[in-house]
Amino acid sequence: MSKDTYDESAAAHGQCMLNRRQFLLYSGSTAAAASTTTITLFPGTAQAREVNARVVGYPRTFLAKLSELKDNEPIDFNYPDNGKNASCILVKMGGVKAGGGIGSQRDVVAFSYLCTHQGGPLQGSYQVTEEQRTLGQCPFHLSVYDLRRHGIIVSGQAYQSLPQVMLELEGDDIYAVGLMGLLFGRNENLMNV
Amino acid sequence: MATNYYLPEDKVPLPPKHADVLTTCCDYCIVACAYKVYRWPIGSGDGGVKASENAFGIDFPSSPLQDWVAPAQHNVVMHKDIPHNVIITPNKDATTVNTNGDSSIRGGIIAQKCYNPKTPTRDRLTSPMMRIYGTLQPVPWDFALDVAAEVAKHVIAKHGANAYSVKTYSYQYIENTYAISKFALRHVNTASFTFHDTPSDVTSTPGFRDAGFDNFGPSYDDWGSADVLMCLGTDPYETKTILFTQHIMKGVQKGMKLIMVNPRETAGITYAKKMGGLHLDVYPGSDTVLLGAIARIVVENGWEDKEWIEKWVNNKWESDSGFGQGTRNTPWQWRTTWGKFQTKGFKDYKKWLLSQPEYELAQASEITGVDAEKIQKAAEWIAKPKADGSRVNTSFGIEKGFYWSNNTGNTNAISSLATICGAGGRPGRVVGRFGGHQRGGQRGGKLPRNKSPEKVPGRRRRALDTDRWLVSGHTRMAHVIGTTWIQAMSGSQGLQKRFQELVVTNPHQVRSHDKQEIIETLKRRADSGGMVVIDQDIYLRNPIGAQFADIVFPAATWGEEDFMRANGERRLRLYQKFYDAPGDAKPDWWIIAQLAQRMGFDGFDWKNSNDVAEESSRFSRKGRKAFHMVKVYAHQNGRTLHEQMRLLGADGIQGPTFINDKGELKGAKRLHDTTMTAEQAADLYGENGPGEANIVTKKLTHFNTQTGQINLQKHPWSLFSDFWTWLKPKEDELWLSNGRINEIWQSGFDDVERRPYITQRWPENFVEIHPEDAKARGIESGDYVMMYSERVAAHKDTLLGVQNDHFQFDELMKRGHIELSKAAVTAVAIVTPHVKKGVLYSNMLDTRQPSNALTARVVDHISGNYNYKMGVAKIAKLGASKYKEEFRSMSFAPRNIA
Repeated sequence: MSKDTYDESAAAHGQCMLNRRQFLLYSGSTAAAASTTTITLFPGTAQAREVNARVVGYPRTFLAKLSELKDNEPIDFNYPDNGKNASCILVKMGGVKAGGGIGSQRDVVAFSYLCTHQGGPLQGSYQVTEEQRTLGQCPFHLSVYDLRRHGIIVSGQAYQSLPQVMLELEGDDIYAVGLMGLLFGRNENLMNV
Repeated sequence: MATNYYLPEDKVPLPPKHADVLTTCCDYCIVACAYKVYRWPIGSGDGGVKASENAFGIDFPSSPLQDWVAPAQHNVVMHKDIPHNVIITPNKDATTVNTNGDSSIRGGIIAQKCYNPKTPTRDRLTSPMMRIYGTLQPVPWDFALDVAAEVAKHVIAKHGANAYSVKTYSYQYIENTYAISKFALRHVNTASFTFHDTPSDVTSTPGFRDAGFDNFGPSYDDWGSADVLMCLGTDPYETKTILFTQHIMKGVQKGMKLIMVNPRETAGITYAKKMGGLHLDVYPGSDTVLLGAIARIVVENGWEDKEWIEKWVNNKWESDSGFGQGTRNTPWQWRTTWGKFQTKGFKDYKKWLLSQPEYELAQASEITGVDAEKIQKAAEWIAKPKADGSRVNTSFGIEKGFYWSNNTGNTNAISSLATICGAGGRPGRVVGRFGGHQRGGQRGGKLPRNKSPEKVPGRRRRALDTDRWLVSGHTRMAHVIGTTWIQAMSGSQGLQKRFQELVVTNPHQVRSHDKQEIIETLKRRADSGGMVVIDQDIYLRNPIGAQFADIVFPAATWGEEDFMRANGERRLRLYQKFYDAPGDAKPDWWIIAQLAQRMGFDGFDWKNSNDVAEESSRFSRKGRKAFHMVKVYAHQNGRTLHEQMRLLGADGIQGPTFINDKGELKGAKRLHDTTMTAEQAADLYGENGPGEANIVTKKLTHFNTQTGQINLQKHPWSLFSDFWTWLKPKEDELWLSNGRINEIWQSGFDDVERRPYITQRWPENFVEIHPEDAKARGIESGDYVMMYSERVAAHKDTLLGVQNDHFQFDELMKRGHIELSKAAVTAVAIVTPHVKKGVLYSNMLDTRQPSNALTARVVDHISGNYNYKMGVAKIAKLGASKYKEEFRSMSFAPRNIA
């Protein structure tokens, strides 16, 4: 495997979390309208399993210019729509590389702001602790999430990782292109809200 | 690189209006949160996003704190042979325990526990198996049961009942524990019987028992209504989450201050500090000294609760009195021989306390590693009267980090400290255990202690130590029910070696198709000094099942049968069956009944689990969760016990239970309820005292002692300091403690390996190490490390103690009863400041990398319990793990980020 893959570059990240463009490469343009196309990930391994493709149908939304992001100063945005439970955080984590991070330092990530336990608001809880970058404690029940590791729970009561917003960089422009994981309160991420 | 990275789903079905709705409770920790199971046939149509279209009756997207379904809360199960969707979510109607439907990460995704061949539950045991030609092969129930019964009868007849050892869980439902203990204790009548968490059937908290405190007297309201709550040996946020988030946290928000005694600083402790609380970071096993120092400050300043002591503490005469036989034949008397613990009341205790040099502040600070200033402050918080002379309400809660390190000393010390501070059975002033597993034990027989060959100095026979008995070669048949036995015990690698010798390397192995020849082979194994193993479980455990079992019985469990159980405030609920057990798996009560009948025992012809529950109820009458009156009430109303429990729903009823004058069914809020009024008592069991079948025991309004008052006991450090001093890290060793972690607490038996998300979070054993200790050894987060020791102590002989000090560690060592062996366990290092310098902390039971291999197989010589939470190890880097560079699983972020 290439060093890049091992380092969890954005490209490697895409191997498990298909970004929109790669999905289109896999499936052809006709599938883009479908919402439950099935593909097999990790074919031939013990982990091989069928999963629903994650990106089809998500809007491509401009979020910010990379050059204008300041280290460790989060920006709020809504995704995938302006409906309920769509508030998200975009942050450049001061050169700390992260799973799914974009930019030359792979330190730009975005996540849902709603705790996946009971929907607690995580606004204002972004924390820098030496090399670690976290969101939480949630004001409801103290859950903390690891932003370097795809929003995995550090300590707490959530049922899943914090949904990660997949990002693409085009020149200096950052776009949100999809979501990994279900937003709190929704039964599917793309709803008529 | 392929990893076990969990791919989260991004959609989930909603339960439709036509879904069946059943109540149940979480299977895991002591708190037992209420849940709802929504079940509907596949293909019958899912619910919609409008309130009118789903079973929740709410619009989606839902709002924070409302119902929601995470994908991990959905599963597909077989119900009456037809595939059904199930969604299991916290019960928003709950008015107690998990008020308004709170949940932890463990219970929250309990739907993943259900058997589904498409998930990592696919290896559930679905058929009885027998090891034939070295391989566990499926066989019919009759075949397996016949062989087991024949060999068991032979072993008992030829080698005595004590050669048949039963090692069982103590908690997995009233119906099962009743059947198991009726079989083992009343019928087999073996003294070689114990539970999953101790080598012998003894009390877990001797100090509480002897002071007169029930482990689970307080109600959950009480834990949130003190001015100051001291928590020892646990972070209740991590290990009884909902007790913390719904009760303790709400108290803190109203001004309750927390004092947390723990070598680690985890999320709940971080929260406590943020809210003005105090963290006392003790070295493992030194709590007695800490509490001695605090108690000393209290009495030196005269801050003790004089009124409470006057009224509720046994004085010289009272501590010797009691129904004409003094304290004889009480466990307390057995343990207090030679005046090591007994006092003549407060003055005597005070005199003793002030004479203990270790409890002087400076020395205590040195031994415990806690700043003297913090010790002083803790004493002031818990006992110093307010400016107007009124007292602060202080409560004390303990758990395993505390009572499984210096078991007797620590539990004696906390009982005495709590008593002088006025904590006992009063609202907001309570003392108790927070709890571990749920309370599903119901004895169907009594341990024949007098058949134990072990005796400690003084006059008491000691409950037989099943590990030492096995190591000594006396166990010829081991019947293991729902526990790993080996990794759950101390010095586990030495124990495993002995199993190997007795079972696998014995020449008598089954190599035949013929049932009678199989039976004869196994009999010859037992007769030749070897051991036959029956294992009863839901998964095939390694090594007890996979390597050692001759016969495996597949068990049905939570959701697969109607069962009853109580939680940490004695609250009884029905855990309903909602889907078919996998394959041929059967509930443990059924398996035991089949075996017992084949062995010629009567009284095992139950038709269903309600029959077992109804038979067991009268044995519960004097217990803390007495449910006999629920049965009486049910029968008065033409129902079965289980039907009545079903009607009691999410909130159930708190034991002990009563029927009052008006014919109403009532439960008790707290035990030792010293403030209970006559009106309250009448409301429980009637104006003229308990009539009809009602039984009121002393512990409802008094304490569990001969007088009903509290025994104030000494807690000498010297009984333990020889072992502690010997164990203390030498050269480059560090303390090694082990325990639970929030994400896998009391659920390790099926979640860490069976739930992709939890596997992703904790893919293998971990060890937390302080940054300075790590730096000195060149260890970084994500490195594989070896934890090892050349001096794991194991007490190897079954023997009689004659002189007073025969069971002291120093004396055992001198007389050659202690064997030192080596052990090694690997782990992934997490370098973090949230663990105390000089202390390592790892997972208590990763079956592949068992930390208990490094703890001493030497019991607390007063109580017979292991001190699991204390070991020492050296630690060295092996190389980098994959988790160091990838971002897909584990996390190295500290747990004390606020």
